[in-house]
Amino acid sequence: MRQFGLFFRKEMLEMGRSYKWLWVPLVFLMLGVMQPIVTRFMPEILKSAGNMPKGMTITMEPPSGAEVMAQTLGQYNSVGLLILVLSLMTMISGERQSGVSQMIFSKPVSFVSYTAAKWMSMFSLITVSFVLGYAGAWYYTVQMIGSVDTGAALTAGGFYLLWMWFGGSLTLLASSLLNPAAGIAFVSLGMALMLTMASGWFPRYLAWSPGSLPQIYVNGLLEGQGMTEAAGALIISMLCILACFAAATYRVKLVKSKI
Amino acid sequence: MTPLLQVEGLTKRFKERTVVNGISFSVAEGSCAALLGPNGAGKTTTISMLAGLLQPTKGSIQLLHGGRPVQDHRPYIGYLPQMPVFYPWMSGKEFLSYTGELAGLTTREAALKTGEWLEAVGLGNEGKRKIGGYSGGMKQRLGLAQALIHRPKLLILDEPVSALDPAGRKDVLSLLRRIRRETTVLFSTHVLHDAEEICDEILMIKAGEIALQGSLEHIRKEYSEPVIRLEVGGEKASGEWLASVGSKAFVLQAEIAGTRAELTVADVEQASQDLMKDAVAHHVFFRKFESGQSTLEDLFMKVVQA
Repeated sequence: MRQFGLFFRKEMLEMGRSYKWLWVPLVFLMLGVMQPIVTRFMPEILKSAGNMPKGMTITMEPPSGAEVMAQTLGQYNSVGLLILVLSLMTMISGERQSGVSQMIFSKPVSFVSYTAAKWMSMFSLITVSFVLGYAGAWYYTVQMIGSVDTGAALTAGGFYLLWMWFGGSLTLLASSLLNPAAGIAFVSLGMALMLTMASGWFPRYLAWSPGSLPQIYVNGLLEGQGMTEAAGALIISMLCILACFAAATYRVKLVKSKI
Repeated sequence: MTPLLQVEGLTKRFKERTVVNGISFSVAEGSCAALLGPNGAGKTTTISMLAGLLQPTKGSIQLLHGGRPVQDHRPYIGYLPQMPVFYPWMSGKEFLSYTGELAGLTTREAALKTGEWLEAVGLGNEGKRKIGGYSGGMKQRLGLAQALIHRPKLLILDEPVSALDPAGRKDVLSLLRRIRRETTVLFSTHVLHDAEEICDEILMIKAGEIALQGSLEHIRKEYSEPVIRLEVGGEKASGEWLASVGSKAFVLQAEIAGTRAELTVADVEQASQDLMKDAVAHHVFFRKFESGQSTLEDLFMKVVQA
C-alpha cells in the first residue's frame, strides 16, 4: 500500500512536470466547448465563407441541446481518444525501453502496486480532463442552444467516462506488451475502433461488449431509452478493465527490462 | 569464510542461442569478486539473472542470510546496471529518496540516507539539480548511491567504470574500495587493471562458461610466467636483432611488434644474461629492458584466445 502511494505520487509528479496535467485537460475543454459554439454560429460561418452560389439559401433546423451534447461526445470518441492514447502510450513501455525499470525492479517492489499506480493515474487524468470538458460543453450548450435533461446527460457522461477508462486500459495493456510507441497507438486505437464497429454490425451478439458503450450513451441522451443492455455492458466493461490490468501486471513481472 | 551467494549450473538460453552455459560459483561474505570476460561472454546476462531481472533457463541462485537461503533476494542486493538511466525530470535527491523508500526505508530514514549518500558519492552540491543535466560520471555515482541506500549485503555492479573518463574511474574505484569494507561486492568488467586493484576473487568467463576461477593470489601464483619485455632503438641493426630474438632456444613464446617484444622464458636470469651478451655482440641499442612476471592481462588474453 505504501509502495502504491510512492508509485502513484511519482506518476502524478511526472504527469505534472511533463505538462500532461495542463495540455490534456485543455484539449478536452476546447473540444467540449467548440461543438456548441460552432453549432450556434454555423449559419453565420456559412454566410461568411463566401463561396456559396448566389441565391442559395440554407435552412437549418436548430438542433436540440441533447443532440449537441451527443455530437460533443462524438468528438471525444475520435479526437479525444486519440489524444488519450498518445499521452498514455509510453507509460509502461517507456520505462522498460529506457532502462530505468532495471533499477526499480531490482528493489523489493510489488508489481501489483506498480501497475495499479499506472492505472490509477490514468483514471485520474482521464476523469479530470473529461469532466472538465464535458462540464464546459454542457454549460455552453445550455447557454447557446437550449436545456439538456440533467439525468440523461449525467448517465451519458458516466457511460462515456467508462468507455474512456476502457480505452486507457487498452493503451496501458498494449504498452506493457509492445515496445514501439507507434505499435502501441495502432493496436489500442485499432482495438477500440474494431469494438465500436463490431457492435454496430452485430448489435445482437455484442450488445454487452465495451464497444457498445458509445452507442448506449447516444441512445440514452437522444431517446432516454435503450438502457436495457446498459447494466450488462457496464459489468462486462469493468471486467475487461480488470482483465487488462491483470494481464499487464503479469507481463510487467515477466519482462522486467529489455535485456 | 561463509558463502553469501551460491550459484549452481546457471544457464540462460535465448531461443536457440545459449548465452550462459551452466556456470557455478560462490561468493564469500566480505569478499570482492570480479566477473571478467570479453565482450559478449555473457557477463551482463549473468549479472541480470543475479539481480533478479532475468529468469534463468536452468540452475539455481541462492543468497544466504544467516546461513539460510532467503526466498526474496531483492531486499539484500543493490544493483547498478551497465548504463544507469534515471527519470530526467527528477532531481538527484528526489530519485535517491524515491528508491530508498521503495526499498523499504521510512520517509525520514530515506531523507537522512539521501543526504548522507549524496555527500559520500560527491554529489552534495548537485542533489537539487535535474538528473537530465548530469554528466555520465555523475549518473554513475548517483547509480551507486541508489544501489547502496538500503544497506544491501551484496552489491552487484555491471561494468561500473567502463564508460567513465580516467578521473571518474578513479573516483568510482576509490569509492568501491571504501564500500567493500562493509559490503560484499560482485562486479563485471573487461578492464583487468580495475579487477586487480580492488578484487580478491576472479571469475573469468568465456562464451558463457567459466574458463578460470580462484583467488587473485592463487591465480597469480599458478599462472604467472617469467617474462622479459624489451624495447630497442629504431636503427636497422637493432630491428634485425629483435626480429631474430624469437628463435632463440630459451624463448618459449615471443610477441614482437615494431621495436617492442615480449618474451616468455623458462628462466629469467639465464635468459637476460644471454640476451644482453647477444645484444652487445650485435651493437643493439636498448631503450628498455624489463624482467618480471606475466600480468593478469596476459593470462586473460591467453584464456580468451585459447
